[in-house]
This record gives sequence, C-alpha cells and structure tokens, in this order.
Amino acid sequence: MIELKNVSFQYENADSANSLKDISLKIADGEMILLCGESGCGKSTLTRLLNGLIPNFYAGRLSGSVCIDGKQVESQPLYETAQKVGSVFQNPRSQFFNVDTNSELAFACENMGMPEAEIEQRMDHTVESFGIQKLMNRSLFELSGGEKQKIACASVSVSAPEVIVLDEPSSNLDVFAINDLRRILQDWKSQGKTVIIAEHRLYYLRELADRAVYLKGGRVSRILSGGELNALSGNELAEMGLRPLTLDGLAQTRKREEGDGQTVCIRDLAFAYEGRTPFLNIPQLSVPKGSCTAVIGHNGAGKTTFSRCLCGLEKRCNGAIQDGAQHLRRGKRLKHCYMVMQDVNHQLFCESVLDEVLLSMEEEDRGKAEQILSALDLSSLRDVHPMALSGGQKQRVAIACAVASQRDYILFDEPTSGLDLRHMKEVASHMDELRNKGKTLFVVSHDPQFILTCCSYVVHMERGRVKAQYPMDAEGQSRLRNFFACSVRQSV
Amino acid sequence: MPAFLLNSNTGKRTLTLDPRTKLLLLVTMAVFVLGGLGGAKMESFRLVISVMPLFFLLFSRKWRAAVTFALLFSTFYWMQIYLIPMTSGFVNFMVIAMTGIVTRFMPSIAMAYFVMSTTTVSEFVAAMERMRLPEQIVIPMSVIFRFFPTVGEEYTAINDAMRMRGVRFGGGKVTAMLEYRLIPMMICSVKIGEELSASALTRGLGAPVKRTNICRIGFRLPDVIVLALCLLAFGMWIMNSLFV
Repeated sequence: MIELKNVSFQYENADSANSLKDISLKIADGEMILLCGESGCGKSTLTRLLNGLIPNFYAGRLSGSVCIDGKQVESQPLYETAQKVGSVFQNPRSQFFNVDTNSELAFACENMGMPEAEIEQRMDHTVESFGIQKLMNRSLFELSGGEKQKIACASVSVSAPEVIVLDEPSSNLDVFAINDLRRILQDWKSQGKTVIIAEHRLYYLRELADRAVYLKGGRVSRILSGGELNALSGNELAEMGLRPLTLDGLAQTRKREEGDGQTVCIRDLAFAYEGRTPFLNIPQLSVPKGSCTAVIGHNGAGKTTFSRCLCGLEKRCNGAIQDGAQHLRRGKRLKHCYMVMQDVNHQLFCESVLDEVLLSMEEEDRGKAEQILSALDLSSLRDVHPMALSGGQKQRVAIACAVASQRDYILFDEPTSGLDLRHMKEVASHMDELRNKGKTLFVVSHDPQFILTCCSYVVHMERGRVKAQYPMDAEGQSRLRNFFACSVRQSV
Repeated sequence: MPAFLLNSNTGKRTLTLDPRTKLLLLVTMAVFVLGGLGGAKMESFRLVISVMPLFFLLFSRKWRAAVTFALLFSTFYWMQIYLIPMTSGFVNFMVIAMTGIVTRFMPSIAMAYFVMSTTTVSEFVAAMERMRLPEQIVIPMSVIFRFFPTVGEEYTAINDAMRMRGVRFGGGKVTAMLEYRLIPMMICSVKIGEELSASALTRGLGAPVKRTNICRIGFRLPDVIVLALCLLAFGMWIMNSLFV
C-alpha cells in the first residue's frame, strides 16, 4: 500500500511548473493508477517521488511523507527503494545502462547481488512471457524505440518489484509498440502488481486503469474511477486538456480548402543499405503542392529513410522532386528542404535565438528575422540561448529557421511526440501558418489526432514502399482511423 | 562509429577466450611485435606470434579480416626478406621503412580487432571484477563503453543538421564550426547522462552488496594454450637477457 500525506515539492532553482502542492493519496496493492493532466501539472514529479528519485537525485524543497508498505521512501537510500519499485522512463535511448540486451535484463538483479543461477532462471521466464527471444544477444543500439521500451519493461519484470512506475512510456512509440506496451501492462495487472503510470496518450489505457488522478497546477483536481474516466465525453476531455480516449470520435475539425490542383512529384527515390535489397523504393509519388502530407506506417516501414532521402541527406540516394519547372536532385534538395528533427537539440547551434535565425538566412536581414520571430511569438526570447528554452520553444525556433531559410519543403519528424493537447494544437497552428506561406509540408507522425487536425493528405508506407496514398476527405479519414484503430482492437 | 565497437553478439562462437587471456595476448603482441623486445634473437619466435591473429580471426569466422591480414602481412614480410637485399639507396630506405611499419603494426591491429569484436562490455566488466579492481574503476569504465556509441549517435544527428543548414567548413569559420558541433553534443550528452544515472539508480546501482555478474568467464583449454605461449615468450626473453 502506498500513502502520500500532504506532499509538497518544488524543484531547486526552478519556477513553479512541475511542482506539487499538498498531495494526499492512497493507492491500494494491485491497483492501476493513471496520472493525467497537462504538461507541467506535476505528474512526472509524482512518479519521481514514488521511485525515490526525489529527493535522492532531484533536489528541491520537500514536505509531507511518501510511504510504501510502511517505509518512508524519502528517507531511505535509493537502492532500498529499488527492491520495491521498478521504473520505466519516457526516453528509450537513455534508460539502459548496458550495451547488450542480456546484461540489461540482468542489471537490476546483479546490483542486488542475486545468485547467477536465479537471475538466469528469472531471465528465461521473462524472455518467454514477453516473447522477446529475438531481441536477446543483441546490441541495444540496433533496436528500435519500441523494442528498447520492451527491454526496459522486461528488465523491470526480471527484478520483480511489487510496484511499477511508468513516466510517459508511450511518447516515442508507434501504434504497434503501444499495443505491445498495453499487453505488458495487462500482464502486470493480472499478476497483482501495483502500477502507476503518468501519460498523455489515454486511449491505450482505457479499461485498464482502475482510477485516474487528474492533476492541475500541482494539485489533485479530480479522482475518477475507471468507469467515470471511460464515460467522459470528448468535450469534457478537451476542457480538461486531455487527449481523447478513443479514436472513433476523432474527426477533422475544420474543412480544408483544396489546393489549385498543382502537384509536387517525387520520382525514383530509392535507397538500399549496403549489400541489401532496396530498402526504400518509390518510383513515383505525387502530393498536392502546398499541402500538409502525413507519412504514416510501422516503425521500420522506411519513414525516416524516406525523409532523409527527400532532404538529400543520404548520399547514395538520388531521385528527384519535380515541382513545375523545378527539377531538384539530391544536392539541390539539401538546399530546398528543411527537416525539423524529433530531437531539436541536435539542430540548434548558436548563442541566441536571433543568431540562430540569422544563420539560416541566405543574406542576413535583421528586420526580416525580427518579423519571423514575432510571427512565432519568439520576440521576447530573441537574446536567450536556445538551449535555455523549453522543448516547445526550441521547436518553434527550429520552425523559425526553416521559414528564414526560405525552403519550399519542410519535413517534420514526430513533432508531437509526448505533447499534451494544448501544445499539440499549437504545433498544428504553426503548420497552418506555414501552409499559408505556400510551403509544402511532410509530417512523419504516429499521432492520429494531430494528423487529423492539420494534415490534408496521407501517404501510408510499408516495407519501404508506398502502400497507399489518399486525400483526407471523409473516406480518407475513416481509412486513417482504421489504420490506427485496427491494432488497438486486435489486443482488446 | 565502427560497428565492432558496439559489439555485443554473444551468440555462437567457435573459440571462446577469457577476456583476461585476450588482454595478456594484446600486451604480449605490443611488447614483442610492436615494441620489438628481445631483439634479433627472438626473430623466429616473433614471426610465430605475428601470425597468431590469423588463427584467431579464422576461428571466430572473421573471414574478410583474416584474408586481408594474411595478404597484407605475407606480402610485406616477403618484401622484407627479398626486396631489401635487392635494392639500394633511397628505394632501399623506403622499402625498409614501409615493411618495418606494416609488419610491426599489422599484427597488433589485427589482434586488437579480434579482441574488440569478440568481447562484450559485460564480459570485460566481469573480467575486471575478477581481477579485483575496485568498483570505483569498474563502474566508470562500463559507463565509458556505454558512452562511445551514444556520442556516435549524437554526432551523426548533429552532422545531418549541419549539412541541412548548409553550415560547412570554410569561410574562416573553423572555430564556429567546432562550437556548433560541440555545444549541441555536450548538451545532449549531459541530458542523456543525467537520465541514464536516474535510471541506473532506480535499478539499485551502488547498493552496498557484492554485485554478481551473469557472464560466464573462466580459463579453459584454449586459454591455457594461449597463456602458455605468452609466458613462453616472456620466459625466452628473460633467459636471453640473463645469459648473455
């Protein structure tokens, strides 16, 4: 049993975002609790209190008490909490300590000094129940995000803690990987584990969560039973700033005006990794000019390779973009396309936001740069170091750079992974503005709600090929919903 | 990032050597072949050690590396024997320099490749623990191994971003180039490092109990043979230097 009594916490050297105020909560053994709320509401902070990272790793002002099975979490060392509480984090890339999967599964048990034979027995059991035989004896660096997250869950299972805490585990996953995650959660629930999960995406947790704790501004605003959660209407959810519980109700919010019939044609985009059969093979693909095209498909369907090739980043991929009289081969594409990466930290180099925009211009023009910044609501941050900004602000700076560079084609790689409703809508509105400027956009995304909010055309990829392409009319919308929903239904 | 640095394939292997044996092999190789310890007296034995990497590469099914090594080494060894007496002057000097470098460096490089590509990080850590190295050395070492590929990944991503933004060398911007590359890399590495520590701590790293390790390492027959060979080399050298 977990009991939080009048817990308040404020991070050191930080504003009040993510802090907690006077939280009291009791969680029974075997319960599955969903922590939800907008970004900055403190749900991640709450998970860190439970696994002891607060106050042992993240410093700040803490009052009140956190108690798991009669033991004070805040005053016991982390390695003791670790025996009771297992954790899965948001970023699959940074939560494994080893380089190979076997060592990773054994890691927690090795740290506890468990005998080798027992660890091996537990590992065999876990590998079988997770069905991850294929992932064993592999380097973690060659696994996809979904596979890494599976290994993270499996390694928690091997050490078999009674409480499992997950902090936005689905952020970097595609629908299929989320489906697997759901199955893992189901297993844990049937084994009687206490599971606490902080999450933006709700649809895969419906019918699983026993209770939902809705946080607002660091306080518990509402506690809903599983039934009450499922009964929330779309409007109520939107008012609470939450993502939808089902995909069925999702529809395009506004009618999009059709373009003037002009198209951008992509030809002969093919690419193969050394010594393998062609991995990407697109003989011809036409999308409406000035549209926002969603690129959907499995992890490993070639979406990332597609965007890298389109941008001209892959040296061994030629092909061309044909846009009216313009004929863009690889070298030219590098100058005409711009990609806003999933981890925007990789593409900001300068000392201030303004410098960042100026660097992107062919010829530095301060007046114009200021204009672009104010359009994206960045004027007040012009002299700030980009690395000091929040994730959303960094993304806006990257978009500002794209605008400043006057590129015609802008690609977005997972722009809404881990974003709540409000921030997702913000990104969508930036997309609309870019379209109004006449840019042609490509969005690689796993977020059906986002795609329905701002995309007008869909390209569905499978095994490096275009499996289907369709405009987002009534029929297209239902096809899109089907694509995302089928995998969800399979598991229910 | 060369792929063999990320190796972790513990699957089927035909020849398994203990990491400690591999370390001694590397040291022997470096001392006698690269360093030339023992001088002319040990010339024939040096040849024996020099061709050892070939067998290890063959046993571990690294065909390509084995063939490359065999061809390069035998060609240059042949040149050393036949070409040096035949030439004179500048050409002679060039041949001596070239063959000297290749025949000395190649075996050690091939051996290092064999060791790196067949040892996983956890085996290496287990070996260090067996050698009773303190945890204060073992844990940082394993973190360093974890970090090589991470930094490699970050570097690739940043490189892409720079190419896309048209930031390239030239135009007197060398310092700026370094800065553009280093700053995002440092920020990302620090962030990953922090998340990594948090994750490791929630899994009980640093508990005051004796860590166990599931890697099965230990000395077997091949180890004994290789160890004997290495010790023989050192023994010969000691005998030679004692009885001169």
